[in-house]
Amino acid sequence: MRKVISFLLLAGFVFYFATLTGGLIIPDSSADRNSVGLDILSRSAGETGSANAVTSVVVLYRGFDTLGEVTVLFLAALGVSVFMKSTGEKRKKVLDQSFILKTGSRLLFPLMFLFGMYIIAHGHLSPGGGFPGGVIIATGFFVILLTSESVNFNKTLMSVLEGLAGLSFIGLGVVGLLGPGNSFLQNFLPLGEFNTVFSAGIIPLIYAVVGIKVGAELSSVVYAMKESK
Amino acid sequence: MVNPILLIIVPLGTAFLISLTASFLKNSTKYLALLAMIANVWVSIKLLPAVMQHPINVVIAGVKPPLGINLFVGPLGAVFSILISAAGLLILLYSFKYIEGDSQHKYYTLFLLLITGSHGMILTGDVFNLFVFFEILAISSYILVGYEGKRNGLEAAVKYLILGSIGSILILVAVALIYQEAGTLNMADLADKFGMIDPSKRLMILVFFITGMGVEAAVFPLNSWLPDAHSSAPSSISAMLSGFVIEVALIIIVKFVYSIFAMTEILGFLSLVAVITLLVGEFAAYKQSNIKRVLAYSSIGQIGLILFAMSLNSTDGLNAGLMQIINHTASKSILFLVAGFLIVRTGSYQISDYRGIAKKMPVSAFFFVVGVLSLLGVPPFFGFFSKLSVVMAALHTGSVFNTVMVFLVLLGTIIESIYFLRIIQIMYNREGDVGSVKEAPFLPLLAIAAFTVVILAGFLVLPQITGYTGSVASEIVRKMQMAQVF
Repeated sequence: MRKVISFLLLAGFVFYFATLTGGLIIPDSSADRNSVGLDILSRSAGETGSANAVTSVVVLYRGFDTLGEVTVLFLAALGVSVFMKSTGEKRKKVLDQSFILKTGSRLLFPLMFLFGMYIIAHGHLSPGGGFPGGVIIATGFFVILLTSESVNFNKTLMSVLEGLAGLSFIGLGVVGLLGPGNSFLQNFLPLGEFNTVFSAGIIPLIYAVVGIKVGAELSSVVYAMKESK
Repeated sequence: MVNPILLIIVPLGTAFLISLTASFLKNSTKYLALLAMIANVWVSIKLLPAVMQHPINVVIAGVKPPLGINLFVGPLGAVFSILISAAGLLILLYSFKYIEGDSQHKYYTLFLLLITGSHGMILTGDVFNLFVFFEILAISSYILVGYEGKRNGLEAAVKYLILGSIGSILILVAVALIYQEAGTLNMADLADKFGMIDPSKRLMILVFFITGMGVEAAVFPLNSWLPDAHSSAPSSISAMLSGFVIEVALIIIVKFVYSIFAMTEILGFLSLVAVITLLVGEFAAYKQSNIKRVLAYSSIGQIGLILFAMSLNSTDGLNAGLMQIINHTASKSILFLVAGFLIVRTGSYQISDYRGIAKKMPVSAFFFVVGVLSLLGVPPFFGFFSKLSVVMAALHTGSVFNTVMVFLVLLGTIIESIYFLRIIQIMYNREGDVGSVKEAPFLPLLAIAAFTVVILAGFLVLPQITGYTGSVASEIVRKMQMAQVF
C-alpha cells in the first residue's frame, strides 16, 4: 500500500514538474521575452571581437560566473586532497601493464597535450576553450598515471600552477578595473582582426589561464585518488 | 570611493595566492589570510557611509545589466559585509591557536573561500551569479565540516553534502525557470518582470528557491544536517556556520520574497514554519548532553526566531530580525569559540565533564556566561533589545495569529534559559574538579573578548545600530526596480 501511495505521489509530482518545466526542454513561444539572448547574439561579435558567441558570453558577459566556476572546481580539487590523504608509501604493483599499453600511452600523451593546447588557444574561434581543453590535457595525464606504475608527478608544481592561473585570472580582471573602463574583467586589449588567433582582446588569455587551472586541478584530483588508501 | 568588488576578489585572490605559496611558506600562509581579512574589514567599513547615501552599482566586464553581471550594494550589502568580515577576522585570529597540523594552508584557503562565497551572495545583483557564490559557500563548508578527518565529521560532511546538493539543484531549477519565463537574470530586471509570469509558475519558482535556500538556512524540516555538521566541525568553523552562513542564506530568502518576487502572501506560511523551527530547535537542544550539539540546536531555534521576525511583513519586524542576527552572530560565536577550548582542554564534549571548570578557566567561563545571557535576552545585554523589538514588532501587527506565535516564541525562550542556565550551573559548580586544566591562550581570548564588547556596549550605540538596520529593512521591503538601480 505504501509503495502504491508513494508511486502515485511521485507520478503526480513528475507530471506536475513536466508540465511546468517542459518549456526548458522544448522551448515554447516565449522568444519575445528572451531579449537578453538575442541582444547578446547581435552585439557580441562587434563588442568582443570573438567569432564564437558562446565564448564571448562565458568569458566576458558572464566572466564573473566563470571565475566562480573555476573556484568551484578549485574547491572540489582541494576537497579531494583534504579527504584523500596520501599514504606516503609507494603502492604495491596491482597490475603489470603490458608493454604495448605503456608505450602506446607514452606515444599518445604528447598528441593529447597538443590537442588540448589547440582547443584552448582556439576557444574564441571554434567550439572549445579553457574547460574542455584543460580536461583533454588532464586526460593525457590520466592515461600516463593509469598505465605506468611509478610516475614522477610533481604535486607542488600542480598547486603552484593552480594558484598562479587563478591569480592571473583575477590579475587580468584587476587590470581592467584600473584601466579606463574602470570595470572588473573589462576587455582592455585591442580586439584585433576578427576570426584570427590574435583577436578578441583578453578572451584567449583568460581561456589560457582557465585551461591551465582546469588541467592542473583535474590531474591532481586523479593523482590524489590514485595515491590514497 | 572603494569598489565593493574588492570584498570578493581580495579573499579569492588570497586563497589562490596561498595555494601558490604554500610549498615554501608552509603554515605562515595564515598571515596572508590575516592581511586579506583586515583589508576586507577596512573596505566594508569604508563602504557603509557611502551606500547609506546612495546604493552603489558595480558593472562587471564593462557590460551593462541585464546583459552582464553587476554587484548591487545597498545598506543590506554593506551591513552584512561588515558582519561577515568582522566576524571572519576575529574567528581567523582564534584559528591561529586553535587549528594545528601540517597542512593548515588548506584550512586557510577554505576559510577565505567561505568568506568569498558569503560576500558574493550578499553583494551580487544577478540570480545566476548568486547560485555560483552559493556553490562556493556550500562546497567550502562541506569540506570544512569534515576538515579534522574524524569519523563523525566525515559522516556529517557527507550528510550535509547530499542535502546541500539537493538544495542547490532546486535553486538551479528555479534559476532556469526564471530565465525561461522572465528572460532575464538580473535581480532588478527580474523584479520588474516577475509579475508578468504565469501565477502557477511563479509559485513553482518561489517554492523551488525557498526550499533550496532553506536547506542552507536550516529551516524546518530541511535542517536535519545542521546538528551533526555544526557540532562535528572544528569549533572555529561552527562559529562561522552558525554565526553568519545560515543567516546569509536566510536573508537571501527574505530579500527574494520581499523585494524581488514581491510575493508577501507566502509570509504567513513562513512565520508558521519559523515558529515550528524555533520550538523544534529549543526542545531538541534541551535533550542534548554534548555541548556543541546544544549550541547547534540552539542555532536552529535562533534561526526560527529571526525568520519569525522577518516574516511579519513590516519594517519593524525586519529591523528586529536584523538586530537579532547581529546578536546571534556575536553571542553564538562566543559560545562556540569558548566551547572549542573547553573541548580541547578537557578532551570531552560532555557537559557533565565541565563540573567546576570555571575555577580553572575563569575568563572563558565568564565570556560563556555573557554569551548565554545575551542569547537569552537578559538586560542590559544587546540580546535584550533585539528580542524585545521582535516581540514588540509582532504585537504591533495586532493580529491574533502573531500574538499566539509570540507566546510560543516566549515559551521557546523559557526552554532555552533552562538548558543554558543548567550548563552555567555545572560550570560554576563549587565541588567539581576537572583536574589540571589550563586557561585558553591569549589570542583566542582576545578574539572572544571583541565579540563580548559588541554585546556589552551594543546598547550604547543602539540608535546608530537601529539606524543602519532600519535602512536595511526599508531597502528590503521596497521592491527592486531597474530604474532605481541605474
